[in-house]
Amino acid sequence: MNNKLKILRAMRNWSQAELAERLDVSRQAVNAIETGKYDPSLPLAFKLARLFGMPIEEIFDDGQKGHADD
Amino acid sequence: MTDAETPRPRRPMSPRRRRYWKSLGFAALVGGLIGGWLVVDQPEGRGLTEMLATGSLTPGFAIAAALCWTIGLAIAMILYHRAIDDHEEHAWLWASTAGWYALMFPAPVWWVLHRAGLAPSPDAMLLFLLTLVVNAVVYLWLKFR
Repeated sequence: MNNKLKILRAMRNWSQAELAERLDVSRQAVNAIETGKYDPSLPLAFKLARLFGMPIEEIFDDGQKGHADD
Repeated sequence: MTDAETPRPRRPMSPRRRRYWKSLGFAALVGGLIGGWLVVDQPEGRGLTEMLATGSLTPGFAIAAALCWTIGLAIAMILYHRAIDDHEEHAWLWASTAGWYALMFPAPVWWVLHRAGLAPSPDAMLLFLLTLVVNAVVYLWLKFR
């Protein structure tokens, strides 16, 4: 799954360690999400969305177009 | 000094991270206690292989080590699982699955081959060691790749 985490983090001039502290996860977790090696759980995705003040689907992109009921 | 060079204040460790390191510290303490006791309990002149694998143990040490391992591991696991984030939980679960497969495939194969007289009797500790190695490799790969 693609995501804009690295860009959003860079815009705030946060290091991976700083973002990890704000999310209360390890730096390895942030790195794994940023590089697409790990998709976060729904609670962590919500935490990210709240931290960056935007909806989950603006941070993460599963590559599918349209709505689920299309 | 530019903004980029300004050292960022180090935040205090979060309660989760503190719990995480406490759980690892506790596990290390239990391991250290069993290991230290094992060394002290050995008769003089014993080699490393004899001490770790083939030599006999005193009943007192064996009972104490078994209790320490069972109770200590149970407590350490409860503390650990309460403290890890979901990336580590993910790594742990897949590593555990891989470790289980490392037992599930070879154990019955070895057992039937032994019953047919084609292999020596199954060695439980060797199988345990295999699951441990597979578990550790998968865990470390998923956590730090």
